[in-house]
Amino acid sequence: METFFTTCDKIQHIIKSFNLTKTLFVSSIIIGEAHTGKKTLARYLFPDTPLVSGSNQAEVELALETYDELIISDFEKLSNQSSLNFDNKRIIATANYLGNSLLIDTLFAFIYTMPTLAERPEDALYLRNKFAKEASDTLMLEYQQSVTDTIPINLASNSKSLKKTIYQHLMKQTMHIDDITEMLYHYLYTHLEGNDNYREHLILYEKPLIEAGLKKYGSQLQLSAALGINRNTLRKKIHEHHIS
Amino acid sequence: MSINFESFIEWDNSPFILFNHKGKILYLNNAAEILFGYVSKKELYDIALSYAPQNFGYKTTALSLNYDSFMFYAITVGYENEEELSLRLYNTPRIKPSKKLETDKLIITDINILLEANIALFKTKNRNHLTLLTDQDLPPFKLDQNNFSKLLRKVLDAFRASDSIDITLKLIIGQHVIIDDKKQPIVRLSIHANGRYTNADEEIRTLAIPSQIKCITKEYGIDLEIPLIS
Repeated sequence: METFFTTCDKIQHIIKSFNLTKTLFVSSIIIGEAHTGKKTLARYLFPDTPLVSGSNQAEVELALETYDELIISDFEKLSNQSSLNFDNKRIIATANYLGNSLLIDTLFAFIYTMPTLAERPEDALYLRNKFAKEASDTLMLEYQQSVTDTIPINLASNSKSLKKTIYQHLMKQTMHIDDITEMLYHYLYTHLEGNDNYREHLILYEKPLIEAGLKKYGSQLQLSAALGINRNTLRKKIHEHHIS
Repeated sequence: MSINFESFIEWDNSPFILFNHKGKILYLNNAAEILFGYVSKKELYDIALSYAPQNFGYKTTALSLNYDSFMFYAITVGYENEEELSLRLYNTPRIKPSKKLETDKLIITDINILLEANIALFKTKNRNHLTLLTDQDLPPFKLDQNNFSKLLRKVLDAFRASDSIDITLKLIIGQHVIIDDKKQPIVRLSIHANGRYTNADEEIRTLAIPSQIKCITKEYGIDLEIPLIS
């Protein structure tokens, strides 16, 4: 069974309202940005209810004839919403946006708004840890909370961007020289064009080298000594690659 | 032939009041007695004076008067001597829904559950202080759950900016409504606050009609009189 973690007041009220109306024949819709957990919430509250996607109008119409209780995801994708009949049925729909507000108002008794992950910082933190554990399992890494704590919380596309950032971050941490050269090989292979490639792609090596070196050695003087290059050359390259 | 008309007036559904020349009530029928729970003696006397005919006789004027759930569309004011002035108010007929309420399709529902669910929905959007006083002993009754939920959502939404909202749900003693030739008790849901939005009132009244719910919209509140269909 799916679980749903939240410390958000708004979502707790949504859960309460759904729990009260679980046995009633009312139509409800949860509207909110993509990847905020609308479908997971519907599944958590109605684990045994058939689920259809709004991307297939015919399938939804058939399911409405067959079942008294139905979850319709991606409701905004339905081509003809006004033809649907929800009389004496228990409908739980999810939608990424409101669409025709008048029609939604007529079709649904309960209209809920799902808050974004940015509005639920504690939920975002919980999900970061959860996804980091899953990613560690998938990538066969040992889970370390201290590493997870350094992962930036990217909520630009809610849980999708959060998950993507976690995978990218964990993969970067564990790369070996072979992986890096292979990655560079693929990058260079697709990007080589023109007649100034050596100078243009030098940034791939020099920029991370100088940035990491500056962080490690603290000053340009010490870094130029560690790199074995002239101080003026280093300064020129810092300027060239816009390193602050 | 002598007929005593007094008992006909006594039991007439429209209020009838007889004032003396100082505004003191000399007689009032049953309907007027109930009406005085919602309007002052002075207000009705002033109306009677304003709409009285210039000479002895009777004058009927069409005008719209609302006192709580009482609505009147006309009044007759009359006097035959200098001592007594009579006022009769005509009840506005209840609008019959064009579509008959199909009671077989309604589902036995605990109204308290629907009310609580709608309050939870309201709380997802608003942080207003809200008090709820309900009769937990109300028996479940037949209701169009979806339509009633929509109506409740709209009604509560009218109070989205109100400071404090009082909700009460109780059975009205002694009043009934006839549905399908059966006498049904009435449950009153009252929502009151220090103010409210009125822009959705028309929509609220329209939503109430198919469920044969009487909707009384006031400046500071909305009352729904719901038939308790068993």
